[in-house]
Amino acid sequence: MFAFNDTVDTYALEPVAKAWDKVVPDRVQQSIVNLFQNVYTPLVALNNLLQGKPHAMAVDTARFLANSTFGVLGLFDIASTWGLEKHDEDFGQTLAVWGVPAGPYLVLPFLGPSSPRDAVGYGVDSLATVYWFFTDIRFTVGPQTVQVINNRAQVLDAVRELKAASVDYYAAVRNAYLQRRAAQIEDRRDAATVNDDLYRVEE
Amino acid sequence: MVPIPRLKSVPAAMTALLGLGLAFSQPPQAHADESPRQVIESTTDAVLAVLADSSLSTEEKRKRVEDIASARFDFDTVSKLVLARNWKRLTPEQQTRFVQEFRKHLSMTYGRNVEQYNNERAEVVGERAEPDGDWTVKTRIIRPKGGEPILVDYRLRKFGNQWKVIDVIIEGTSLVANFRSQFQEVVSRDGPEKLIQLLEEKNARGEPIGQPPGTRSERLAAPRDGASS
Repeated sequence: MFAFNDTVDTYALEPVAKAWDKVVPDRVQQSIVNLFQNVYTPLVALNNLLQGKPHAMAVDTARFLANSTFGVLGLFDIASTWGLEKHDEDFGQTLAVWGVPAGPYLVLPFLGPSSPRDAVGYGVDSLATVYWFFTDIRFTVGPQTVQVINNRAQVLDAVRELKAASVDYYAAVRNAYLQRRAAQIEDRRDAATVNDDLYRVEE
Repeated sequence: MVPIPRLKSVPAAMTALLGLGLAFSQPPQAHADESPRQVIESTTDAVLAVLADSSLSTEEKRKRVEDIASARFDFDTVSKLVLARNWKRLTPEQQTRFVQEFRKHLSMTYGRNVEQYNNERAEVVGERAEPDGDWTVKTRIIRPKGGEPILVDYRLRKFGNQWKVIDVIIEGTSLVANFRSQFQEVVSRDGPEKLIQLLEEKNARGEPIGQPPGTRSERLAAPRDGASS
């Protein structure tokens, strides 16, 4: 499945994203990122509530209101410049906070690295977002496509670099995914404080 | 965020690799008794100077950034950490080759990022002592092009009177942990010799375009002071 996704990416998504990146100015790309992040902010707020973080939820709500109005429907992340910090939450993380184990590492078709827990979380998040903001399938496909292409365009260099810098690309992606999810669940973007034997030299 | 979090979360952390070239530099002489924070700060300043120097060609910049990365890591320690238990499965000869190839691999990774430099700035935002005597210096890479700052932590260990980098943690993702998982996979499947061969092939392929064949490898393969203390 990993090879399948990589093929789809190499022959379909990456070329489209490259063309997109050439045509669409950086500022516009950033605004599209902001727009979608704003659309999902209520979902982030809800997940913060479900995780028992009322303060974070309040901040998310304020962010949504500020960016939807002063930020021109979310095109500009004005809230961040006001010091309203962005949060990164999804239902997969909520399940983790509730104590649901991740289960084995999975690679989902088209979606990439996941786990049973995150696959369920993704499903729940998708249902919630799609029905809140778009009612007709015709109105979901267009924006979703733009979002997928635009998001891929943000990481063109990074993915190329990861491929160049790894000796086992599959293992590199799996490990990056696992570390990233652990950090997200713990709401940190920096080094973990407990590192087991990671830094012990075995003599 | 939501619709393609799995696709995006992995490379998002690695996006920070782009900024990595910023963080290491080789001042003419690495000063003894520099604090970990000073090590990171002085190297950051020096690299930014290299990147901003319009009189240097891309290749010259790349070489300098490579030298910087090469001098600021303790590659013996990083090699032992990424191989973990497998380190002892290597013969002394294989260990030497591994350290050499891995060092080359990492240096080239940093060097490649020179081309992607986009006026990013780096600043130290904090530091902390680790229970085992290591030191973590926390930095932030600010991207004028847009997008959120990237958080990059450096873990340093003291060798003699010099602090050397033994890990880079980008947005919570440790490079040592990531390489360890890759190398574990290869070694358990194909053995240590195959891993060294893969690194050699990778390094050979990574020759920059326009570089006369051979010269770069010889230069990189040459032992340098400061890598092992």
